[in-house]
Amino acid sequence: MDYDYLKYKKILIVDDEAELLEMVRSILEQDGFKAMKTAGTVSEALQMCKEWKPDLAILDVMLPDGNGFSLFEQIRTFTEIPILFLTARGEDEDRLRGLGLGADDYMVKPFLPKELSLRIGIILRHNYKGESPTVQLAGSQIDFDRAEVIKDHEPISLTAKEHDILLALYRNAGRIVTIDQLCEAAWGDNPYGYENSLMAHIRRIREKIETNPSKPVSLITVKGLGYKLVLAGK
Amino acid sequence: MKDITKLIRRFIGILLLSTVLVIVLNIVILAVISANQTANGRPYTTARETAGALQKTETGYVLSDDMADRLSRENAWAIYIDNDTLEVKWHTDNLPETIPMQYTISDIASLTRGYIDGYPTYTGEAENGLVVVGYPKDRYWKHMSPSWDYNFIKNAPYTVIIVIGVNIFLIFLIYMIANSKLLKSVKPITNGIQALPSGEPVYVREKGLLSDLAAKINQTSDILQRQKRNLQRKETARANWISGVSHDIRTPLSMVMGYAGQIEDNESLPESERKKAQIIRQQSIKMKNLINDLNLASKLEYNMQPIHPKPVNLVAVARQSVVDFINLGMEEKYPIEWNTDEALTTCVINGDKELLRRAIGDLITNAQTHNPDGCTISVCARKSDTEYKISVEDNGIGVTDEKLEQLRTTPHYMMSDSGTAEPRHGLGLLIVGQIAFAHKGTVSFDHGKHGGFSVTISFPIPKDSQ
Repeated sequence: MDYDYLKYKKILIVDDEAELLEMVRSILEQDGFKAMKTAGTVSEALQMCKEWKPDLAILDVMLPDGNGFSLFEQIRTFTEIPILFLTARGEDEDRLRGLGLGADDYMVKPFLPKELSLRIGIILRHNYKGESPTVQLAGSQIDFDRAEVIKDHEPISLTAKEHDILLALYRNAGRIVTIDQLCEAAWGDNPYGYENSLMAHIRRIREKIETNPSKPVSLITVKGLGYKLVLAGK
Repeated sequence: MKDITKLIRRFIGILLLSTVLVIVLNIVILAVISANQTANGRPYTTARETAGALQKTETGYVLSDDMADRLSRENAWAIYIDNDTLEVKWHTDNLPETIPMQYTISDIASLTRGYIDGYPTYTGEAENGLVVVGYPKDRYWKHMSPSWDYNFIKNAPYTVIIVIGVNIFLIFLIYMIANSKLLKSVKPITNGIQALPSGEPVYVREKGLLSDLAAKINQTSDILQRQKRNLQRKETARANWISGVSHDIRTPLSMVMGYAGQIEDNESLPESERKKAQIIRQQSIKMKNLINDLNLASKLEYNMQPIHPKPVNLVAVARQSVVDFINLGMEEKYPIEWNTDEALTTCVINGDKELLRRAIGDLITNAQTHNPDGCTISVCARKSDTEYKISVEDNGIGVTDEKLEQLRTTPHYMMSDSGTAEPRHGLGLLIVGQIAFAHKGTVSFDHGKHGGFSVTISFPIPKDSQ
């Protein structure tokens, strides 16, 4: 199975605290990951990246012989593996710097063990499995790559705005997405005054995806707040 | 600058007032002096009256006793010159010997205008002759040729006004020139003093009349700057210290949380032990939040939290905070209501979206933590004439009046210089207050409408969108 296959991905953990390295390793072990190695310094980490070729790296920012940001840049010179920062530096600037460099995620210590393994799972799926191109709803299927909805075996094409709105909803499937976030997804920054347009788009999307658009089961309204996309079987 | 104009106005005022006073004083002095003087027309009148009082009788000319008395009192003498003979026909007894007894017409003309032998003389027309009254030599001074250009007399009032005007202007000019030098040296001093409270460094050129004052202002500015720097250094050190501690505590806390989490999930352990591990994990999360709060509060307090102001829609931020809370999946115990008028879709202020989201989120979390048995939370955005208001209200256990008063008046221990013995509220509300303050807003506390507790953050509506 794909999922198990991901558990065999090689993970490199870089931190200057030996105890923390041990703990992260045990967390990942408990979660079923099989191949982990640890490094305490920048030079050690670089060497491992070149020789052991990990599939994912977890980096601390503060290291005895340099910092994680520059380590990140050095790793990027020869490999595109996903990288997650795990650091005690919780300032917004640091977070933005890490993500701005192109890191796949940025976690601030202290962290919950489950959250770490979940995020690693997400990163691995994104990078090694690819996002599922079709989404199964109660009465239809969405194919985001082709911007199509398949209802009753008939393809119905989505407009660009409908595609953007549905994608924003899908990325937060099962959770409420606010009106403002949806407007931003469809119309960009400062999306004021598009609330009515959004309602019109939602109506049209329902006509495409719902079996009975006046009694929606997949695209639910949360009054005053936003909308929620419910996937089939959830 | 205002003060300089005030100073000039006052100078001019004093100048005008003193000019008016001088003129009035002159007039008064002149009046007093001339009141004591014999009126100019008096000797002529005397001469005319003498002429009237001289009677021709059969024995010759006789002056009335009364008039004779007056003349002798003034040491004056009088003669009567006959029209036909031009001879002195009568004279008073005290006539000086040098006075001639016979006159020619030119003599008459001369004595009318001036003197006889140095005695000032005045004439009065009598019947068929002329009465001449003479005074002692040092009694009067006579102007021998009193004649002026007609236009000069005619224009005299204007001339006087012009002369006075020119004088006033001249005095004013002298005054202004004299004062402008002083004003010039006062101006940088007043500018310097006015700039001092701004907290910016002030330098006044130490030159001119008031260079000593300028030097003192520069010294004061230096002292203020030094104190400001010292204070900033201390505040920075304190904020850095807190930030350092909170950084250093993160890694050890990670281990506590991490291992506690693992023990909690270890199904081979007895339930009671796993429960203990769960409590350790939950308390670690509390510590983590506390450290984050402490760090943010200290940064906000010492203005070290970078605020990235951008146009932010408060309604969207509040809505997002509500949705974030709903998405946590605690709706059964803490149902949350969004009570905002649907017509109110945008309340845009210039602010830091993340901080504002944090403030509203903190208020929602606050309602949750203070009501462990659950409560309904209600969030609402409103707009008044001058303010946008975001309220977070619950129907939970609420607070006592004393506690409410304390929240409103007692500073948080971080801000307090008195002891920390009294119990104070947590960091959450402090941070909300700081975030509101950083956006020129205010926070108010009240009892909820349905029991419970209510917090309202108010932000002034930016001028351009009112």
